[in-house]
Amino acid sequence: MVSGAGKRQRLALRIAAVPMGLLALSCLYPIFFAVNNAFKTRDDYMRDRFGLATQPTLDNFVQAWTRAHLNEYFLNSVIATLGAVILLMVVSSMAGFALASLRFPYRRFLFAVILSSLMIPVQVVLVPFMRTMLALNLVNTHIGLILSYTAFFLPFSVYMMTAFYSGLPRELIEAARIDGAKLLQVWWHVMLPLGMPALVTLAILNTLSCWNDILISLLVMQKHRTLMVGISALKGQYSDQIPLFTAGIVIAAAPIVVLYILFQRRIVSGIAVGAVKG
Amino acid sequence: MARVELKHVSKSFGSTKVIRDVSMSIEEGEFAVFVGPSGCGKSTLLRMIAGLEETSEGEIFIGGDDVTDEEPADRGVSMVFQSYALYPHMTVADNMSFGLRMAHRPKAEIKDKVGRAAKILQLEEYLERKPAQLSGGQRQRVAIGRAIVRDPKVFLFDEPLSNLDAELRVQMRVELAKLHRVLGNTMIYVTHDQTEALTMADRIVVLRSGRIEQIGTPDSLYQDPDNAFVAGFIGSPRMNFLKATAQAGGRLAVGGREVDSPVRTTLEPGRKLQLGLRPEHLDQNEGIGLEASVEFVESMGSTSFVHATLASGETIIAERRSSQPRAGDKITLHFALASARLFGDDGERIR
Repeated sequence: MVSGAGKRQRLALRIAAVPMGLLALSCLYPIFFAVNNAFKTRDDYMRDRFGLATQPTLDNFVQAWTRAHLNEYFLNSVIATLGAVILLMVVSSMAGFALASLRFPYRRFLFAVILSSLMIPVQVVLVPFMRTMLALNLVNTHIGLILSYTAFFLPFSVYMMTAFYSGLPRELIEAARIDGAKLLQVWWHVMLPLGMPALVTLAILNTLSCWNDILISLLVMQKHRTLMVGISALKGQYSDQIPLFTAGIVIAAAPIVVLYILFQRRIVSGIAVGAVKG
Repeated sequence: MARVELKHVSKSFGSTKVIRDVSMSIEEGEFAVFVGPSGCGKSTLLRMIAGLEETSEGEIFIGGDDVTDEEPADRGVSMVFQSYALYPHMTVADNMSFGLRMAHRPKAEIKDKVGRAAKILQLEEYLERKPAQLSGGQRQRVAIGRAIVRDPKVFLFDEPLSNLDAELRVQMRVELAKLHRVLGNTMIYVTHDQTEALTMADRIVVLRSGRIEQIGTPDSLYQDPDNAFVAGFIGSPRMNFLKATAQAGGRLAVGGREVDSPVRTTLEPGRKLQLGLRPEHLDQNEGIGLEASVEFVESMGSTSFVHATLASGETIIAERRSSQPRAGDKITLHFALASARLFGDDGERIR
């Protein structure tokens, strides 16, 4: 009986492996397609779209980087992402500290407002958002994009830091206060270092969101494109040059893939935290 | 070193009053212990002195200064928490020096003070470790070290030993008492454990439901409690309270017999009373005898506690140092009249 059940279970696993494998393939194949074609010459691609590159070349990368201005776009993306992620970490850590540990009027109400803004998708507020950006002269500026990313990704970050800090013992803050630390010093010396595990996870998740964003940057950075906007524009401009286009895609995806490989474990656990608590 | 004085101090959380009109003074260099059952407000009172809880009414003075509205850091107090509250990301040395660094003291002074505290507490070899790499007792000592280096006017301890195992607790109790002798600072210590209170305190403050029940030396609380609550709380096992009724001619009916009243106050015949007898005072060979049948015996090695039933049906605990009766035995428990304490049925002491 036992071995029969075991056999049946193994069979079930094998059957389940088939759709799983197909799913994995459907994710992996486009990556392979992009990387493979990025190394092809134009003729090589024309002759065989799906075959391996016969005369591998780096020319597409050079072209994409310089002629298609990806270098410029890349820099814009780095500035916006880095700026927003740092700002998000600082602000969410401070807000989380305040919401979790300090007593002030309307604290619960404020937290509820932040939580409810988690439920509003970007698309719904596009018009008022755009009007605000225009009124503040923030369109086409890096600062504008950094602030926009911070605004849109802040509710989740604040929520997560509040949840994290709520789990820390109150006595730590009280001990620091007795030791003579002012509020900002408590934050800097105690809360910020202790929040690092959560903050690193947040930094990674926010980097993914900011780097991959198209919608917000399309609106805010109309003159100077970010990488993702630039790549989608490539599609129109160079529709006959698929190898060039795929080289652009590889350049855009590379930093995120590297980040993913480096912090794989944290990303999974971070998403799990969001899944359970969010 | 400083005197701590509370004047008509009250504290409410919303509509619930947790501290009710407490007034007392703790003398310079005194080791005062706040003791009471959980929820009596002892920790809240300590946190009010520390400045971690606001004072709803009344004033708090430390060293003659009104600190009622001062920040915790400006009160000249150090606090040791039950959970130790060590900064987990800092080394032992950084934990201990945190307060001095916040006060921007010169590096040489910080090093000197941390070194001296580490020496007193035998932490010298652990200075570069993180709290997670230390045992419970060592962490406790770091927490005390952090309090010492700031050279406070008053030390505050909030149940600092309750996270330690029994053996270590006894050891740390002795060390804390020694520390108090070496440093000589005013110390206020909160505990729910009456043994800690009795062994460490110069003076004990017994609290119940946010009110002071009695303040006094350990000896005076044990010998001369003001009410049945204090009498029952101080001493282990707790005092036996037997129902008594005043009779004509200054006698009392208690435990199925009549005895002389232990007090000079004239008692109205028929008045309901409680006679308090400590288990350790029931181990006499002569005096007033109470007939009892043994229910069971708790042997503690050097001594044993006999749980017995009196003729009146009340249960009583008596200590037996020499003979050990067995369950079912009929014994007579003798006590000296002078060791008995009399309380009204409202719990107030009658002298």
